Amino acid sequence: MQKEYLGEFEELVLTMVGILQEDAYGNAIVNEIIERVGRKVNLSAVHVTLYRLEDKGYVKSSMGGATNARGGRRKRIFTITNAGLAMLRAKKEQQVQLWKLVPQLKITG
Amino acid sequence: MKEIKGPQWIIRFLHWFCPPELTEGIEGDLVEKFEEDLKVLGRQKANRNLFWNTLNFFRPSIILRNKFRIQLTETIMIGNYFKVATRNILKRKMFSFINAFGLSIGISFCILIYLFIKDEKSFDQIHLNKNQIYRMEAKSYDTWQQDPKHPYNREAWLQLGLRNALKDELPEIKYATRFNQDYSGVLRYQDKIFSEKISYTDKDFFKMFSFKLLAGNAEKLFDNKLDVVITPAIAEKYFGKDDPMGKTISIDNEGEKLFTVAGIIEAPPVNSSFDFKILIPEENRPRYERQMTQWGNFNTPCFVQLVEKTDTLKFRANLDKVVQKYMGDKLEKWRKEATIPIPKNVKMLELLFTPLPDIHLMKSIGWHKVSDPQYSYILGGIALLVLVIACINYISLALTTSASRRKEVGVRKAAGAGRKQLMYQFGFESLLLACISMLIGIILVVLFLPSFNQFTGKGIAIEWKDWIELLSIGFVLTFVVGLLAGSYPSAFLSHFQPALVLKGQFTSRLQAGFTKPLVVLQFFLSASLIICSVIMYRQMKFVATKDLGYNKDQTLVIPTQTGWNEEANKAVERFRTRAQNESGIVAVSGTSSSFNQGYSRYGYKIKDEQKSAYVFAVDPNYLSTLGIQLLQGRNFDGNIFSDSSAIIVNEALVKDMKWTDPLNEHLNWREDTVGIGSQVIGVVKDYHFLSLERTIEPMFLSMDKKNVGYLTTLLVRVEAGNVPASLDKVRNLWKELFPDKPFDYTFLDQDVAKQYESYQRWMSITGLATGFAILISCMGLFGLAGINAVNRTKEIGIRKVLGAGLPSIFILLNKQYVWLSLITFVLAVPVSWYVMNKWLISFKFSIAMSWELFAVSIVSGLVIALATVSYHALKTALINPVETLKYE
Repeated sequence: MQKEYLGEFEELVLTMVGILQEDAYGNAIVNEIIERVGRKVNLSAVHVTLYRLEDKGYVKSSMGGATNARGGRRKRIFTITNAGLAMLRAKKEQQVQLWKLVPQLKITG
Repeated sequence: MKEIKGPQWIIRFLHWFCPPELTEGIEGDLVEKFEEDLKVLGRQKANRNLFWNTLNFFRPSIILRNKFRIQLTETIMIGNYFKVATRNILKRKMFSFINAFGLSIGISFCILIYLFIKDEKSFDQIHLNKNQIYRMEAKSYDTWQQDPKHPYNREAWLQLGLRNALKDELPEIKYATRFNQDYSGVLRYQDKIFSEKISYTDKDFFKMFSFKLLAGNAEKLFDNKLDVVITPAIAEKYFGKDDPMGKTISIDNEGEKLFTVAGIIEAPPVNSSFDFKILIPEENRPRYERQMTQWGNFNTPCFVQLVEKTDTLKFRANLDKVVQKYMGDKLEKWRKEATIPIPKNVKMLELLFTPLPDIHLMKSIGWHKVSDPQYSYILGGIALLVLVIACINYISLALTTSASRRKEVGVRKAAGAGRKQLMYQFGFESLLLACISMLIGIILVVLFLPSFNQFTGKGIAIEWKDWIELLSIGFVLTFVVGLLAGSYPSAFLSHFQPALVLKGQFTSRLQAGFTKPLVVLQFFLSASLIICSVIMYRQMKFVATKDLGYNKDQTLVIPTQTGWNEEANKAVERFRTRAQNESGIVAVSGTSSSFNQGYSRYGYKIKDEQKSAYVFAVDPNYLSTLGIQLLQGRNFDGNIFSDSSAIIVNEALVKDMKWTDPLNEHLNWREDTVGIGSQVIGVVKDYHFLSLERTIEPMFLSMDKKNVGYLTTLLVRVEAGNVPASLDKVRNLWKELFPDKPFDYTFLDQDVAKQYESYQRWMSITGLATGFAILISCMGLFGLAGINAVNRTKEIGIRKVLGAGLPSIFILLNKQYVWLSLITFVLAVPVSWYVMNKWLISFKFSIAMSWELFAVSIVSGLVIALATVSYHALKTALINPVETLKYE
C-alpha cells in the first residue's frame, strides 16, 4: 500500500467531519474547532483542506437541502469514508504505540 | 424577515474566480458567517470580515482546482507523448533529420537576421543626449545637373564657418561641433612613422557625445589648439606601454605640427556613425582661416545639440535667418548667375537637420556608414522565406508519413482519446522537434556568425548578456514554428475515423493533391533564387573581367604624401628617375587621383550650353603605364612647353562637343574670355575611369599643374612574375628616397574591385540563401519522393511482374517531379526577371538577361531535382517484386 500522509490540520478537520456526522459543512467545522479545541481557524483553510481530503478519498461530499438561512444557498455536506475512518484509527493507534514507548516517570537527577 | 445582504461585489468577485461547482457551498458558508457576524459584531465589522474571508478563498488551490484536475490527465499523458514522439523521431531518422535540419536552418537564419536588424537599429543609441543632437544638412537647389524629379540636393556637408555662426546667432543651440572624419595625416613619434586617419572636430564634441573619455578633462580638452585625443589602440601603437598623456607627437597634414596628447578616448563601437582614431581641433585644418570666410565651400559636417524642449519648427525658421545673414548675398548672386531659370519661390539654400539616431538609416543623405533600411526588409524577407520553406517541409512530410500513424490514431481513439488530446499529442511532437531544431539552430548561429559578419560588413558579436535575449527569441521562434508547422498535420491526423482506420478500409495511398502545392511553392522559391544567383554571379563576373580600356593588373597605387603642391610632381619624378634602371619595375607614372580614389569634375559653358567633364592631372607616362589606347594625335611630351596647357580628351568628350576633327579644336573649359582654351593634342579610346555603374562621361587629361592639379598619386607597374619581390623593391626604393614618409600602397585592381563591394556582398548573401533554399527544398523533395515511392511499391511490383523494365519505372516515378520543377521554373522566371532587372539597373554596363541564363538555371534546377528524387526511384525500381507482393 502506498503510504499516505495526513497533516496535523488535515487530521483535525477529518476528525471534526467524523464528529459532526450529517452536519459537517464548512462553517460548522470552523465553529466546532473553536468550541472543542479553542483554535481559531480560517474558513477558506478549512474548505481547501476538505477538498484535499476529498481528493485523497477520506471524505465524500454532497449538496444538502436548501434552507432559508444562508441566503438560500445549499450546504456542501462532507461525510467521512471508510478509508478516512481507517486512516484516523491507524493514526490513533500509531500515536498510542508511540506514547507507550515514552517513560511515564521522568526522574531528574 | 428582511434579508440583509452583504456587499454584492464581493460575492460577484467570488463567482468570478471560484470554480462553479464549489461556489454554492462556499458562498453559503460565507453568507452564514456574515449573518452571524451581523448579529454579534454589527454591520461594519461583518462587512469587513466577509471581505477578508472571501479574499482568503482567492488562492491557487481554489482557483485552479478545476483546471488542475484536467491538467492532471494531460500531465500523465505527456510522459506517454514524449515516449511516442522520441520513438517516432528515432524510427524515421532520415525524415526527422530533414525536418530538424530544415527547421534549424530557418531558425538560425531568423536569429542572424534579427541580430542584423538589431544592429542596424542600435546605431548611435549610446549617446545620452541623442534626442537633442541633430546633424545639420544643406538642402540646395541644384542649378547644375538637375534631375527634374528631385531638383534639390540634400547633403550633410556644410561650410566650415557655419558652426561658429550658428553658435553665435542661435540661443537654442547648447553645443555645436564640426566633425571631419576622413582626413589622413602622417604621424611621427621617434622612429614610428605611419599615415593615419585623422578627424577634425571641436571641443563641444566631448560634451555632446557619450564616447567614454578614459583620460583627460572633457571641459578643458581642445582649449589648447594643439591638443590631440587618441584611442587606446593608437596610444599603444606609438607609445607602447608608456603613459601617452602629455607626450608630444608630430602630425603632418599639409604642414607638420607638434601636438600634445591631452586625452584618451574609447574607440567608437562598430554601430556608431562616427569613426575616429585621432581627434584634433578643427582649427588645424589646412587653410582654416581662409576657408572660414568662404561660404561657397561645402566640406564640413556639423552637429548641434539643442537646449531641451526646443521648438524645432521655430529653430528651422531661425536657421533661415542665419542663412540670409551670412549667405544672402552669395545666394542672390548664384540665383542671378544660374544657367537655368530659377522659380521665384525656390529657396536656393535651406538648412535642415536630422536627429542623430535617424542618420544611419537615412540613405538619401550620404555618410560613410549609412545604410538602407531596405536591407533589413530584404533580409527579413529571406529569413521568413527560409523559415516558411522549412515549415512547409515539415507539414508535407508529416502528412505523407501519416499513413503509418493512422493505426495509432485509431487505437488511441478507440481507447478513449479525444480529438483534442490527439491534437495536443501531435502538437507536442512538432514542438519537441522544433526544440531540437532550435538547439541545432543556435549552434549554427555561432558557427556562421563570422561569415555572416563578413557578408554584411558588420561586426556583430554575441556577448554574455545577449544570450538571454537570443534564447528567448529562439524559444519564441520554436514555439511559432512548432505551432505553425504542427497545427495542420495535427488537425489532419486527428480526424481519422477509428472504425474505418482499424478495419483497414482506408486506402494506403495518400492524396498527393494535398502536398503538391506546398512543394511547388518551395520549389518556386528555390527556383527564383537560383535564377537570381546565376544572374548576379554572371554580372559580377562580367564586372570583374570586363576590359575596362586600361590595364589594372600589377599596378601599385602609392600616395606621394606631399600635400597639394609642386613637391608631389617632384616626388614622382625622383621616383621615376631612381626606378628607371631597376629590374622588376616596368613603368612609373603620376596622377592627381587614381581610380576609385576620387575625381575632379569641371563645369563650363560653351556656346551657352552647360557642359561638364572629368579632369585628371597626369604626366607623359600615364597612357603607357596604364596601357590606354591613343586613337588620334600624340601623347604629352615633357619637352614641349606648350603641352603643359594642352589636353588629351576621350571619345565621349569628342562626341559631346560634336567635333569632327578634334585635333584642330580647343576646349575652353576655363571659360577664358581672352584665349580660346586648351589645345587638344590627342584623343584616347574611352576607358572606364568611373565604375561600371556609370556611363563613360566626357573626360580629359592635362599636365596643367596650376589649374588641374598635382601628381599626388604614384602609379608603379611591376612585372607580372614575382609581385612580392617587386613590391619589396618598390618599398626599399621608397624608404631610400623618402625616409620620412610612410609607404602606403594599394593594388589598382583591388581598388577597382572595391567599387563593387556592396554588390559582391549581396551576391554572397543571395548565394548563401540560395544554397540553403536548395538544400531545404531538396530535402523536402527527397522525403516526398521517398514516401511516394513507398506508396507505390506494390504497383511497381505488379508492373515488374507484368514485364515493365527499369527505365520505364524510373521514368514513371520521376516524370511528375520533372513536370513539377518545370512548372515552378516557368512561374519563377518572370518574378526573378523583374527583381533582377531592378538590380541590374544600377549598372550602366550590365549583362543582358538572355534566355541562356534562364536555361542554365532551369537545367541546373532540373538536374538537382532529378538527382534528389532518383535515389528513391532507383531503389524502388530495383526491388524484387517478390518482396513487395508476397503478402498480398
